[in-house]
Amino acid sequence: MTQALPSSMRFIERDWLSANQILFFEDDGSASVVDTGYVKHAALTCALLERLLGGRPLTRILNTHLHSDHCGGNAALAQQFGAAILVPSGSFQLARDWQLEALSFAATGQRCERFIPDGSIHPGQQFNLGSLAWEVHAAAGHDPQSIMLFAPAHRILISADALWEDGFGVTFPELSGESGFQEQQEVLDRIESLQPTMVIPGHGPIFFALDSALARARARLAWLKEDPVRNARYALKVLVKFIMLDLEQATEALLIEQLGSAQVFRDASAQAGLSAEQALHWSLESLVKAGALRRQGELLISP
Amino acid sequence: MSTATGLCVGCLRTLDEIAAWGQMSPAERTAVMGQIKLRKLAKSHEKAS
Repeated sequence: MTQALPSSMRFIERDWLSANQILFFEDDGSASVVDTGYVKHAALTCALLERLLGGRPLTRILNTHLHSDHCGGNAALAQQFGAAILVPSGSFQLARDWQLEALSFAATGQRCERFIPDGSIHPGQQFNLGSLAWEVHAAAGHDPQSIMLFAPAHRILISADALWEDGFGVTFPELSGESGFQEQQEVLDRIESLQPTMVIPGHGPIFFALDSALARARARLAWLKEDPVRNARYALKVLVKFIMLDLEQATEALLIEQLGSAQVFRDASAQAGLSAEQALHWSLESLVKAGALRRQGELLISP
Repeated sequence: MSTATGLCVGCLRTLDEIAAWGQMSPAERTAVMGQIKLRKLAKSHEKAS
């Protein structure tokens, strides 16, 4: 069963470097957007929104969580449209002070243009977007501060990286020995209890088949929990592929320069029982074998 | 985006096609994919000549 988006909403499906955008047209003629993509694509994000806005002022930017692929367009959009930036309450002060390590940008070897949040959103809050009432729910697991949004009247869930059609985002807290699997489990339980009929994920297309998506996510979570090294290996490949999407082509030496000192990459390497250099080499081999990268002499190329 | 062609240099889609992609039906997506194939061909001919 499919369902149409409410007329006050637009969905911009992006890719794995830039998360999706959800645009809302408000009754007063203004507009709001959820998530803004990666900094490399900020100009494209601005151009796409300008086209869809059709002259409406963009007054609010909301972030589901402050990972670089979800908030990398914040600065450019705020500058071009004058929008206020609202971030999850748990990340507000870190973003205000721009604490690079704690914000995960430096720790993942990723980039983000500095922005200044104007306000925050917190789980339990009710929020109006596109003249619809949205509930803010906690979505820890992938990121302890992440939120997701649910509109009960239309049973629409904006799930961020807590649930994709096939899986969910890396369980980052587990890499440094903190709890994440349990939180991911709770998020899946919460989603099941909400029973959305339409899910707008942070990456990939909108989907409607909740039961099968939850079943895949639960099976994957059980598989990761069984041996946390699996989560570490998955994280390594994701981090390397992400940097390669950003750089497009790079030598192994440049990649170790980018990732070798990144704390999250170091944690994942250690959990996988590898040095950072070994972990990079293993990730590259795996990605080449899977067709996600190709080698051309010294160079690695993201196709 | 290429200023000369108005296409994304990565996916060879126009701004309007990218903006509408998330809301397209499977048939509409297939139609755009067909266009992209033609653009790819045109691009490789340009390179060759």
